[in-house]
Amino acid sequence: MALLQIAEPGQSSVPHQRRFAVGIDLGTTNSLVATVRSGVTETLADDDGNHLLPSVVRYQPDQTPVVGTLAKSHAVTDPFNTIVSVKRLMGRGVADLKSLGEQLPYKFADTDSTVPRITTAGGDVSAIEVSAEILKSLKDRSERTLGDELVGAVITVPAYFDDAQRQATKDAARLANLNVLRLLNEPTAAAVAYGLDSGQEGVVAVYDLGGGTFDISILRLTQGVFEVLATGGDSALGGDDFDHAIAEWIMPQVGLDESTIDPSIARLLLREACKAKEALSENDQVELDIELSENQRWFGLLTRDQFNQLVDPLIKKTLMACRRAMRDAGIEKNEIIDVVMVGGSTRALRVREQVGDFFQQEVLVSIDPDRVVAIGAAIQANALAGNDPDGGMLLLDVIPLSLGIETMGGLTEKIIHRNTPIPVSRAQDFTTYKDGQTAMAIQVVQGERELVSDCRSLAKFELRGFPPQVAGAARIRVSFQVDADGLLSVTAKEETSGVEAHVEVKPSYGLNDSEIETMLRESMDYASDDMKARSLREQQVEADRVIEALDAAMAEDGEDMLEADERDTILSASELLIQMRQTSETAQEIKLAIEDIERASAGYVAKRMNASVQKSMAGHKVEEFTVEEEKP
Amino acid sequence: MSVDLFSSNYFEIFNASFSYDIDLNEMGQIYLDLQKSVHPDRYANASDQEKRIAMQQTSLINQAFQTLKDPVSRAQYMLKLKGLDMNSETDTTMDAGFLMEQMEFRESIMDARDKNDPLAELDSMAIDLNNKMKDLMDAFTRAFAEASYDSAREIVRKMQFIIKAKKEVDELSEKLEDELM
Repeated sequence: MALLQIAEPGQSSVPHQRRFAVGIDLGTTNSLVATVRSGVTETLADDDGNHLLPSVVRYQPDQTPVVGTLAKSHAVTDPFNTIVSVKRLMGRGVADLKSLGEQLPYKFADTDSTVPRITTAGGDVSAIEVSAEILKSLKDRSERTLGDELVGAVITVPAYFDDAQRQATKDAARLANLNVLRLLNEPTAAAVAYGLDSGQEGVVAVYDLGGGTFDISILRLTQGVFEVLATGGDSALGGDDFDHAIAEWIMPQVGLDESTIDPSIARLLLREACKAKEALSENDQVELDIELSENQRWFGLLTRDQFNQLVDPLIKKTLMACRRAMRDAGIEKNEIIDVVMVGGSTRALRVREQVGDFFQQEVLVSIDPDRVVAIGAAIQANALAGNDPDGGMLLLDVIPLSLGIETMGGLTEKIIHRNTPIPVSRAQDFTTYKDGQTAMAIQVVQGERELVSDCRSLAKFELRGFPPQVAGAARIRVSFQVDADGLLSVTAKEETSGVEAHVEVKPSYGLNDSEIETMLRESMDYASDDMKARSLREQQVEADRVIEALDAAMAEDGEDMLEADERDTILSASELLIQMRQTSETAQEIKLAIEDIERASAGYVAKRMNASVQKSMAGHKVEEFTVEEEKP
Repeated sequence: MSVDLFSSNYFEIFNASFSYDIDLNEMGQIYLDLQKSVHPDRYANASDQEKRIAMQQTSLINQAFQTLKDPVSRAQYMLKLKGLDMNSETDTTMDAGFLMEQMEFRESIMDARDKNDPLAELDSMAIDLNNKMKDLMDAFTRAFAEASYDSAREIVRKMQFIIKAKKEVDELSEKLEDELM
């Protein structure tokens, strides 16, 4: 007979219950979902046994959008309604699309929103909504396979994604009703899978060339810690561009011009170009046979040499980014023990060859470049869901692009430099330039260039109503906080008067909250009642988590750390919350009870966290406090 | 003895004595241990409040380590703790000999391009600058220990010149490498 399991006091009320969490690689070309089951990390297949889900969504009038292989089969015949490579549009504004525009066959709707919308037979859709369809499909697949609701997902993003692109990804998850445990950088995810598998310790480079994005990350692996030293890349460069280079090479040979080409023919050429590219990984040359129309057929020959010439300039761009990342990391080539190749586009032999030459070593191609990112994400999702309490794994990541604000003359003042470890907060003081000035416009930008116009504008907001003073007398403190997902929030405060403004940085290119609410409401899945039920459910889950965490903490050290009256206050707040949790029908009531308990336990929480810091320092020499007199 | 992160100075956070000459390896180890106990990933299932505190603590530890790791910002931070603001524009008289040397050095960076092997030339300049930086770091350690804060401050200004020159050398190397690739 199996022994009955008894939980330690204060531990989870339902011991050994698995909390299902997944890792999702939301790719430009294909997406994947993976999870940890019985200690094994594996990608999940659909009903037909396919692991890769083509990141393609097709919209038809009055129909649920179709995602994946079926949608992909219409990419050539129905280009306007079949959205491919939507990742390239994530977090992009209307102006950005003009530069990308020539490669995109879509029709964009005129809209007041800053978010571009693609006109399809099924209505106008934003990139965020298209991505949400892909996420929904993977969520359904996971829940069907695992037979239970997911507690959340780790979703990977290119390390070089800027704030707007990250926020867009998070918004897509929200639309898909998916709880995001963490946004994880793709090369970091790959490093986790590689590191845990190989057990290697030292500095590694992860070269990640996907369908539409490129990342290079330099990481140090020690004792289960994955510390990103520097990252770099190009969030608009990938295997797609190889296809375009080939297609552009074909066009003049068949008498076509990029500016006048029919979208169906363009898609056809791209598809054939992609096939030719893949074939060249096996063969020295490939014969092209393209049926342009019923009575026009074109035969051609693409040799590997010709292909290399076409893609070399693109590969060179990636190597420039590698060099910069190494310099930022302060690492020399000979310190790198492994160069890990990730992303489908690293199958191209020319890429392997050039990257190997650059790092002066054989590159590592033994891991499956398609799956490794999802696998790494699943491992972190499992840890974040609390299924691996003894695991010492920790991922320390950095911000890929500098963050700053606009100052006089359209110049950028950097507040947080690229490759600073996150989370990070930093503040800088600014002042007025005119006598009597009572307001200040603050433009938040991201990028490395000196001029604001060359950087990415993330948000604009105004701080108003501070008292008029002579120029230079006001002290406006602008504080940046970047969280562990790499997302920024900004606060501005005039110090002499206390006037304050705060923004979650998202308005410039993201959807604002009301747009998201509207979309959630409009989408058929969430009728108004469902919305209420959903937010009630969310608050109940949050309440359970708070109660569980508090019980565990009190059992551990409540006696030692709390005065009797402090403990009583917390306990009565806790009882109130438990009662609310069980009886209340409205999310708002539970939320208020949670806020009460948080207020009551604020001091206790702070004490406990400090104690945990102490504990981690106890292992080190205690010589520091001899320096008291040195304190200013 | 209790340590509250938010009221500690950066040296206290890492159990390090208040001296310019720090053991970066040891500090790096403590940094990782601290991260293991405060990083937001450790609080993924905690209440929003704990998540917020975890984020603030980790941010502080990151900022502290970044500040102390870099030789210039470490020196500036130490002076700031002594009440000396590096950004004040007052009394900026600098060692004339040093300034002259810097100007000459800048010129030689420009000239490197026309040398037989410009990259080798730039490499040796970089080594030269690194050595100068090491000398300045030693000088700062001594000056600070002797409480000669004015001369410590001048040393920091010299460090800033060296860093800037190093950046120019690096940028030119990079440009030349690009042209050769």
